[in-house]
Amino acid sequence: MALLRVQGLTKHFGDLIAVDDISFAIEDGEFVSILGPSGSGKSTVLRLIAGFETPTAGEITLDGANVVGTPPFERDVNMVFQDLALFPHLTVAENIGYGLKQAGMAANERHERTERMLEMVRLDGYGDRSPEELSGGEQQRVALARALVNEPALVLFDEPLSSLDRKLRQHMQAELQRIQSETDTTFLYVTHDQEVALAVSDRLVVLNEGAIQQVGTVDELYESPVNRFVADFIGDVNTIEGRVTAVDEAAVAVDIGTGAVRVPISAVEGVDAGEAVDLCIRPHQLHLENGAVAIEDDYTFAVTGKIRNRSYQGSDSMYTVETDAVGDLSVEVRGEAYQVGQDVTVTWAADAVHLYRREGT
Amino acid sequence: MAEKGASTLAATSAALDEVTAFLRERPRLRTLGVAGPPYAVLLVFFAIPLLAMVVVSFQDGEIGGPWTIANYTAFLGSETYLTVVWRTLQISVKVTAIVAVIGYALAYSIVRFSRRTTLLLLLVILPFWTSYIIRMYAWINILQSGGVLDSTLSMLGLPPVGLLYSGPAVLIGFTYVWLPLAVLPFYASLTNLDTDLIEASKDLGAGPIRTFASVTLPLTANGVVTGVILVFIPTFGSFITPRLLGGTNNIMIGMVIENQFKSAFNWPFGAAIGMVISVVVVGLLIAGMRYGGGLFAREVEEP
Repeated sequence: MALLRVQGLTKHFGDLIAVDDISFAIEDGEFVSILGPSGSGKSTVLRLIAGFETPTAGEITLDGANVVGTPPFERDVNMVFQDLALFPHLTVAENIGYGLKQAGMAANERHERTERMLEMVRLDGYGDRSPEELSGGEQQRVALARALVNEPALVLFDEPLSSLDRKLRQHMQAELQRIQSETDTTFLYVTHDQEVALAVSDRLVVLNEGAIQQVGTVDELYESPVNRFVADFIGDVNTIEGRVTAVDEAAVAVDIGTGAVRVPISAVEGVDAGEAVDLCIRPHQLHLENGAVAIEDDYTFAVTGKIRNRSYQGSDSMYTVETDAVGDLSVEVRGEAYQVGQDVTVTWAADAVHLYRREGT
Repeated sequence: MAEKGASTLAATSAALDEVTAFLRERPRLRTLGVAGPPYAVLLVFFAIPLLAMVVVSFQDGEIGGPWTIANYTAFLGSETYLTVVWRTLQISVKVTAIVAVIGYALAYSIVRFSRRTTLLLLLVILPFWTSYIIRMYAWINILQSGGVLDSTLSMLGLPPVGLLYSGPAVLIGFTYVWLPLAVLPFYASLTNLDTDLIEASKDLGAGPIRTFASVTLPLTANGVVTGVILVFIPTFGSFITPRLLGGTNNIMIGMVIENQFKSAFNWPFGAAIGMVISVVVVGLLIAGMRYGGGLFAREVEEP
């Protein structure tokens, strides 16, 4: 049975629909991220689960019991706040022990649990300090320890890592994963940062404008995004406008301005002939050829262009190619064989493409 | 005309340049120029009068009289006067406590539950626009036997209370007058309180009362101490409110001092009482700052 089940959850603020009829479930021990741009309603979902907001409609079931209407201090859920919200008038140890004290635990047991927690987040000996004396990363650990010490069923994260620099953030991501597996706790992590979400999560919930776009593992979202928004949001993608010219049993013929190419039907969500479509393709699935090359293959796209820009990314290079037919394309290839200003042909296999009916047509 | 203006301007700016250059070479003079005026004000209007009072308080009978400590011994040896001081202290503590509780509740509800905070704050400080004396006379009108309060009570079929010239009348008057003074610092400290901290406390299992006691109150302790001081000190020295509302049974020490200066014309004795009271109040303040802040902090640490 799912640890957390959200069913038809809806939240209106006046005329604004912040969360629009969303449903998902989290299994015990999972690390799930809710990923969405700012204003997508992801923080509201978290606040609804924590109990700081009351849903307009829908159910939140935690461990089999509906918790809608239960105040936050009675929910078996703890939250790591975006700005951490450490109590400035308490020491690090008192911050961590706060929840235990509210639960009425005796002082010596509380002390012991707090010390264990400090060890777990690698802050032994910091107990008597004030949170303000700690660095950003150390404060993150205190906030995490404070949320974990009560051994809640579910820990919620409201983008707490967003204020850290890249290196520290990557380090904290690893720490989060280590602590999650050590404590065997379920984590629900909200972020707009796909890098964090992809790195740490077992599964992702992609949210946009208050509605769920797709739920799945990182691979599923990356390999088969259900719409252009998800394709665009998870990883880099080139989006090319095209038109369907014909549909048969095996393939859909798509014209992007260079003549029809047959896209195998498996990559396509029901489109009809004559419809405008968006064609999404990852930069690493594109290939470069020297000069203008004619491709005599029904199943390969080819456009000619000129290399405008090159940036190194470790062993790969990312080229920006200005094409006549479809505008700028980002192409990621091994090595650095091509020069800026060089004429090239960009090719890609039709079965690597995702095809979506254009919004508003 | 314009030419003349321009030349005046040029002359002025040239003169200014000279002055700045002059001061730049003499940093100590420059410091004195900036810091001097405020210190001069403090010296002329605060330090010198205080010193004069100290001097006068050691003179006998009149200003310029022979040196003596009789004023102090007479005051500290008189049970009547010490009773008045004790009563003054009691009234001040009661008033401060009442104002603190009502003021905090008011500030809290304005900050946490209201939208029109500016309007409500304006209403709170609105009474300041009317003279203190006039407001006190209004209270006489309300509290006197057969006044607004009594007639309202009789309309409701209740017996009259005739509160004027009683202890409660003094408390009511003081509470009314000082409430805005306390609400403003309370309001300021409550608006600075990060609401995330309150949510964090609730998230960690603390109900509303425990959250208030262990997060809200300790984090607004500075504002509370400020408000308490702003109320306690003027109450302790007040003489108008107890005179107008308290009658003869509620004499406070401020009235005694005023009397020495205005009716008995014994300035040295009045000055001596003033000195003693100042020392007491400053002593209470220091104690309050030291232990008051500690009280709030300890409350949180203990299980």
